[in-house]
Amino acid sequence: MLWDVSFGVGTGEVLGLIGPNGAGKTTVLECVAGLLPSDSGRILYRDRPLSSNRRKEALFYLPDGILPWAQQTVRWVLTFFEKLYARTPETLSALTGPLRLEEVSRSRVATLSKGERKRVLLALGLLTPHPLLLLDEPFDGLDLRQTRDVMSLLRRESETGRTLFVSIHQLVDAEKVCDRLVLLNAGERVAEGTLAELRAQANLQNGGLEEIFLALT
Amino acid sequence: MRSLSFVRLLAKELRELFASRAFWLLLLFVGILVGHGFMTAVGLYAEMSGSGGGPAALPQGLNSLDGVLVPTWGAYDLAATLLFPFVAIRVISSEKESGALKLLLQLPGTLISKVSAKALVLLFAWIVSWVPGIAAIVLWRSYGGHVYAPETLNLLLGHLLRGLLSGGLAVAAAALAESAASAAIITLAFTVGTWALDFVAAGRGGFVQQLASYTPTAALRSFEQGLLRWNALVVFVLLSCAAFGVAVIWLNTGHTIRARVLRTLLLLVFTIGAVWIGAGLRASRDVSENRRNSFPAADEAALRAVNQPLKITIFLSPEDPRLTDFEQNVLRKLRRSVSKLEVDYAATSSTGLFESTEEHYGEIWYELGGQKVVDRSTIEEVVLEQIYKLASVNAPERSSDDGFPGYPLAAQPKHAAAIFYILWPMVVIVTWWLARKF
Repeated sequence: MLWDVSFGVGTGEVLGLIGPNGAGKTTVLECVAGLLPSDSGRILYRDRPLSSNRRKEALFYLPDGILPWAQQTVRWVLTFFEKLYARTPETLSALTGPLRLEEVSRSRVATLSKGERKRVLLALGLLTPHPLLLLDEPFDGLDLRQTRDVMSLLRRESETGRTLFVSIHQLVDAEKVCDRLVLLNAGERVAEGTLAELRAQANLQNGGLEEIFLALT
Repeated sequence: MRSLSFVRLLAKELRELFASRAFWLLLLFVGILVGHGFMTAVGLYAEMSGSGGGPAALPQGLNSLDGVLVPTWGAYDLAATLLFPFVAIRVISSEKESGALKLLLQLPGTLISKVSAKALVLLFAWIVSWVPGIAAIVLWRSYGGHVYAPETLNLLLGHLLRGLLSGGLAVAAAALAESAASAAIITLAFTVGTWALDFVAAGRGGFVQQLASYTPTAALRSFEQGLLRWNALVVFVLLSCAAFGVAVIWLNTGHTIRARVLRTLLLLVFTIGAVWIGAGLRASRDVSENRRNSFPAADEAALRAVNQPLKITIFLSPEDPRLTDFEQNVLRKLRRSVSKLEVDYAATSSTGLFESTEEHYGEIWYELGGQKVVDRSTIEEVVLEQIYKLASVNAPERSSDDGFPGYPLAAQPKHAAAIFYILWPMVVIVTWWLARKF
């Protein structure tokens, strides 16, 4: 259940949504994507209301923990998205390298490990051309090196002007990749701002996101 | 761009179909079922045609539709009930359970186009499963068997509509239910419910019997008898579209449950209205070669001249075989020939062993133009005579030859066992294996 959650995100920004398990991070993302209904509220896109059936024109949401088209090969799933969104083969190959997908391209999605599956999902999300990309736990299941690679990839993506709205439960990762953060706890927005702004709201001179989070929740 | 997206979605659904075990199992088992039905039917047909040296049945009584095609294609009725729904359920449930539905909903195109792509692929799957049935027809022709194209195509149309409805219901159930198992239970419960309705409504008359005539099994029966009923066709198509419509409503997770229930109710009201109008279509076409659904042409012309309403009151219980005779041999034809016909099933008792029957039991009353005749016969000629007498119409001259020669054939089902029990399973398994490679 969510109450009175509101926030804004600017073009080319990486906005992090952080909170403990059960805080409502995935629910927020799915409501924004129009995959879950909300009792009230609205989404403004470039200062104009965006109805739920037009959301997919502006944004794409990549869920966590899904196993899409499990009996198909990785190559087919990626090519399906590439062709569906009329992307060039170069766009796809620019993703398969950093995400190390060449080695699993012939494997079926069902046979992939958790990390490999996450990398395939990230490639699908990054293949979409939408100006706003919503990612649910993009680093979940990735090892340290892969996490760093994906962070670089996401930063590069945001530098092209694409806006990323990312839900992360690992606060260390969130601190590294996000420009601004929204703190969510028990379905309510607790705070919003840059790391420095959040530090000020929490009355902390120093300290990382973990200390801020504990102070504010 | 839109049509290109649809083609890509269609290609995806096709790949998913080929990746589905349920589809390959449908193909595997339907071949065996068709083969068993075909060989049994050909053997019995040969016996009736006098292959064992015994007395042959009257040649006029032997036709390929009843003797071979309907029993062979009966396998598809079974498949539409017990196998095909699982193929249809998987088309929806696999994406719901894996979370792929969340991606699918965001892909280009409307949800209607996405469900339409699934419906088209299911139709393709159903038609592919007909290969053994078509092979059986080809084999029958190769034995020298007679095939009358209009009644055969009508039978195929019936099975096409049966499959479409079966697929639609399964897809709707999968969209409504949380899991594939729950969807299977809903689908089977619906099927068993229609069987019960079919059984309970037999010979009861009124709304219940009319409703039961549109259950999948009952509606298919008219196609099996060489009768193309436009109302059955329209109702089949409407119900199938409504079932896919329910799937569209319930797959849209962005709407509240309340909104989805309201939309479903609206769709139901619209469908009931459309079905009610469609059910009122009385036109039908007897495409059987032996015109089993029609009176002789001269009688039909004479009956068309009867403009006043004809009321028939039947005092026979639903369990009475005379009622079945009367329904099959007379009423079915009268409904097609007389424009204003009212049938009242007046018997309130059953024919239990120790039960005394009610007054008038066994009688059939014919009322026309304020006159009434009571009779007990269920024979076509006698009934028509009574109607002509009431309508003061001269009975037309009847020809002793109805023009249908009958097609006795004492053939053995050569090569059928090898084709249906060995070759077909091998083809399915090899194609399944190859499909997994790509």
